[in-house]
Amino acid sequence: MFFHIVLERNMQLHPRHFGPHLRDKLVSKLIKDVEGTCSGRHGFVVAITGVEDVGKGLIREGTGYVTFPVKYQCVVFRPFKGEILEAVVTMVNKMGFFAEAGPVQIFVSNHLIPDDMEFQSGDVPNYTTSDGSVKIQKDSEVRLKIIGTRVDATEIFCIGTIKDDFLGVISDPGAAV
Amino acid sequence: MARRARDDDDDDEVEEEDEEEAYDLEDEEEEEDDEDDYEAEARGKASRSTSSSRGGGGGGGGGGRKRSREDNFIDDSAIEDDEEDDDDDDGGGRPKKKGGGGGVRGFFDEEAQVDEDEEEEDDGEGEDDFINDAGADLPDEDVVRGSRHRSMPMRDEEEDIDEIERQVRERYARSTHIEYGEEAAEVEQQALLPSVKDPKLWMIGHERETAICLMQKFIDRSDLQIKSVVALDHLKNYIYVEAEKEAHVKEACKGLRNIYASAKITLVPIKEMADVLSVESKSVDLSRDAWVRMKLGIYKGDLAKVVDVDNVRQRVTVKLIPRIDLQALASKLEGREAVKKKAFVPPPRFFNIDEAREMHIRVERRRDKDSGEYFEMIDGLMFKDGFLYKTVSIKSISTQNIQPSFDELEKFRKPGDDMNGDMSSLSTLFANRKKGHFMKGDAVIVIKGDLKNLEGWVEKVEDETVHIRPKISDLPKTLAFNEKELCKYFKPGDHVKVVSGVQEGATGMVVKVEGHVLIILSDTTKEHIRVFADHVVESSEITTGITRIGDYELHDLVLLDNLSFGVIIRVETEAFQVLKGVPDRPEVVLVKLREIKSKIDRRTSAKDRSNNMISSKDVVRVVEGACKGKQGPVEHIHKGILFIYDRHHLEHAGFICAKAQSCLLVGGSAGGRRYGYVRSKAWCFEISSKHFAITGKAAPKRTSYELFGGGGRGGRGHDALVGKCIKIKSGPYKGYRGRVKEVTGVLVRVELDSLMKIVTVKRDDIADTPTVATPFREPRYSLGGETPMHPSRTPLHPYQTPMRDPGATPIHDGMRTPMRRGWAPMSPPRDNWEEGNPATWGSSPAYQPGTPPARPYEAPTPGSGWANTPGVSYNDAPTPRESNYGNAPSPYVPSTPVGQPMTPNSASYLPGTPGGQPMTPGNVGMDIMSPIIGGEGEGNWLLPDVLVNVLRAGDDGPGVVREVLADGSCRVALGSSGNGEIVTVLPTELEVIRPKKSDKIKIMNGNFRGYSGKLIGIDGSDGIVKLDDTYEVKILDMVTLAKLAS
Repeated sequence: MFFHIVLERNMQLHPRHFGPHLRDKLVSKLIKDVEGTCSGRHGFVVAITGVEDVGKGLIREGTGYVTFPVKYQCVVFRPFKGEILEAVVTMVNKMGFFAEAGPVQIFVSNHLIPDDMEFQSGDVPNYTTSDGSVKIQKDSEVRLKIIGTRVDATEIFCIGTIKDDFLGVISDPGAAV
Repeated sequence: MARRARDDDDDDEVEEEDEEEAYDLEDEEEEEDDEDDYEAEARGKASRSTSSSRGGGGGGGGGGRKRSREDNFIDDSAIEDDEEDDDDDDGGGRPKKKGGGGGVRGFFDEEAQVDEDEEEEDDGEGEDDFINDAGADLPDEDVVRGSRHRSMPMRDEEEDIDEIERQVRERYARSTHIEYGEEAAEVEQQALLPSVKDPKLWMIGHERETAICLMQKFIDRSDLQIKSVVALDHLKNYIYVEAEKEAHVKEACKGLRNIYASAKITLVPIKEMADVLSVESKSVDLSRDAWVRMKLGIYKGDLAKVVDVDNVRQRVTVKLIPRIDLQALASKLEGREAVKKKAFVPPPRFFNIDEAREMHIRVERRRDKDSGEYFEMIDGLMFKDGFLYKTVSIKSISTQNIQPSFDELEKFRKPGDDMNGDMSSLSTLFANRKKGHFMKGDAVIVIKGDLKNLEGWVEKVEDETVHIRPKISDLPKTLAFNEKELCKYFKPGDHVKVVSGVQEGATGMVVKVEGHVLIILSDTTKEHIRVFADHVVESSEITTGITRIGDYELHDLVLLDNLSFGVIIRVETEAFQVLKGVPDRPEVVLVKLREIKSKIDRRTSAKDRSNNMISSKDVVRVVEGACKGKQGPVEHIHKGILFIYDRHHLEHAGFICAKAQSCLLVGGSAGGRRYGYVRSKAWCFEISSKHFAITGKAAPKRTSYELFGGGGRGGRGHDALVGKCIKIKSGPYKGYRGRVKEVTGVLVRVELDSLMKIVTVKRDDIADTPTVATPFREPRYSLGGETPMHPSRTPLHPYQTPMRDPGATPIHDGMRTPMRRGWAPMSPPRDNWEEGNPATWGSSPAYQPGTPPARPYEAPTPGSGWANTPGVSYNDAPTPRESNYGNAPSPYVPSTPVGQPMTPNSASYLPGTPGGQPMTPGNVGMDIMSPIIGGEGEGNWLLPDVLVNVLRAGDDGPGVVREVLADGSCRVALGSSGNGEIVTVLPTELEVIRPKKSDKIKIMNGNFRGYSGKLIGIDGSDGIVKLDDTYEVKILDMVTLAKLAS
């Protein structure tokens, strides 16, 4: 789920940036530092949409660096249990398949794939229904439901299921070609 | 049966029988009256009425007290015998006696229990308890009779019935309380256990019958000092007697028909006393559908499921997976005598009727009398659904702590009955639950009873009762359940940790819940694990579980029993999963610790498809085979097989096994360029330089191969030895000469000159031939021009390259041939240098302390090099180099003395000496570290007192260096203790003996040159040395260490 929230961060800025463009430097550094990171609480920071407030800088003794408390608005993405996501399949193996929804990796175990879909090994490993009408392979797009999340310091890993109504393949790369 | 025995017995007992008849009658009356009353009351009344009857009957004096006591119990048991008694009503005296006998038997058991309780309770009261107890009964009798010798306060006044009843109740209330004493805290229990002061337990031959006799005797005679008698059903030929002294037991047993006077009486150790009486309860909890294991026979250790329990006959019917050799069975049925193979146990396999019929075994289909089910019968064996149904004694199965593995359960689970399978396995699981299984906050589900499938959370745990807060809000706030009615409950997506069972320690996310089995996706291996819900707890922790057993750790390369090898990809509680080094298909085996021979801890390298050298940690891509397209760093190399770790590979913990030949080094060139150079690091040079010096001279044994395992050697396609003529100095081929064909790790393949065959010998077993020089010369010539050959060159190049220009020209003109030979090998270093690796220069040992680069410049006599004839220098120059290559003393050895005086000078020519003599610097590179500028560099390495091997014809053997002469040769005292003849030996004829762990050593190079110490450990090519002087611990290259003479 995406959120637009305000976060705060202490930014350290090198003295060489002190000048008329200090604020710009600060913002660009902030963007560089923060976008794409992940925190367990808020999830992935997808984009910074604005800087609300830059506090008073504090010069660090010895280094000359200045620490600014910066409040910024950002869009974060955090997957939740029970959430429905659309994701792209990245890898298929006999235990299930991995899919990615933006920065989040989701594993769908073969126990959580409908029973009528069977694993077919070969050049392009895939899960196929017995009549062959539905196929999950690399680059397929699937709609899945997250049933569990594990949050590490830098990564969120999810387990998903497609064994439910309205879940499963939404576009098949094989069909398009 | 006991009774019958007694009937045959002595005459005095006959009198008793009458009385007992009376009791029986009384009993029946009682039962009619008190049917609805609770037990205590029944007992109370029983005693009341019996005593009254006895009062009326005026029954026999001394025994009376005891009898009243007995009656209570008879009454109890009489309830059991109800039916029997009713039947007996019209049957007259005899059958009644039988009923009474049952009563007595009942009494007996009951007595045993009560006595046990009393015994426990007695601790404080001392030994008189029995009598006291009886005394408590007295009032009842006395109320009626009033003719007792003993006086008690109560007896003085006539008490009404209620009062008596109250007393009786009190008494039994107490005893009931005691019966539940088991629930007392453990400490209290301990206090109740027998100690030295308590009556002892004695063991005598014969059983129940004897016990009854003893009881009767006790009733008859008040002077018997035994307290109780116990006969256990499962213990044949013995009874237990509780008494203070052995003499009392003997006294009691005297004259008993069943006990020999000589019967041995054994004292039961205090510790075992409690066990004697608690045995029975253990086997009680054997119920249907429980899992058990067989203890005996061919099914020993097999899992079995209880189908039926016959407690009376102590027999159990179990369901097993049959281990039947149909062939043997068939031949047996046909009357042929099959040859018995003793050690052969048929594997468990489901029984198939058709198979049996094919073998002409007659299969009957029969209906079981009791269960009404149909079985297939063969030769007395019963089969159903492929399982064998076998009736065995309870003693032959073990029921405690059965933990069926998943595999076993799977086998037992036939399609269609999965839910039942789950349930039955649960029953066993419960038995194995640890104490404190449930904790507050656990999510649980009810699995039995009316509220089945109710979910909730644990609120409180009290012993076996668990209070849960149900999930459904309409229900009361907490509900109490027995532990056994609950099971832990997890939802898909929960992150859990396995806390017991085979997978203990693993963590993962629940993917699926199948009844009470969870499928977990492991965090680390990304594999599915099946575990019982009871074995896991919710946890946010992420671990692999255990990673080490013994010396072997996860991801180690290990050598297995059958000389195969593989990488440990998973560590389980008692075994490893090993991905074997079979390149075509992934082969995983489960091995026990003892099946692993050793860890392969060698740094080797292999050649990829384009002949790039691959060493561990290099990134390679698999270009053919099953794992085509995978890429990752090489973790292990063994026998040309690579173990690659691919992060994206999910199976086998990310390990891929591939032939080196089907891989390509990432970043290596397809044309066989030297990847090694590009990535060679400073330390490589360091090692190689040391190595250069030492392999060349001091330790011909030392293999450059090993030393260069990392990167320094990396670039070279050949080992220095290849193509060399060597002599095998030990092992089965000792004395043979031959040419080295190939070097693999520590093994060398040698083509023997005399046998025309190629043999594999250990590298340590070979010595260079001192004589034949030509053979290796040839290849060098050819090789020299086009390929860089030897890693040992590397350290030299800083010196050589600058020299080349000034030095080259005159020599070139003068002597073409030697020149070329001299230079050819140098080209690789130059290459290297030109490739722009200047960083290595800085750290190259040549510039290290002890070798001031300025030195050469300072050296005087720039011209002195020329003073020597150029011819000499040419001859001389190759010499050291030769030895670098293959440790083969060169044919020029004789000329060395000539060169030697010259070499010191050569050092001074080194970089940039205009007239510098081009060849010699090679030497200088080697001994640059040493403070002494010796001729051969060799001399610098050796130090007095160092143990060496003399490799000179005639003087072969160990020796101790006594003195290092200025020209580099040494005076060596022969013999390992140095007490032999003193000879002067050239450095090329010496090799330092490599120290072993805990040897005294001397450091021959580096900052600590000259220090002595002790080798306290070896880590690959590094030795851990404790210095004698400072007690400091240093890590030094093994090649710089020499063993000291003891």
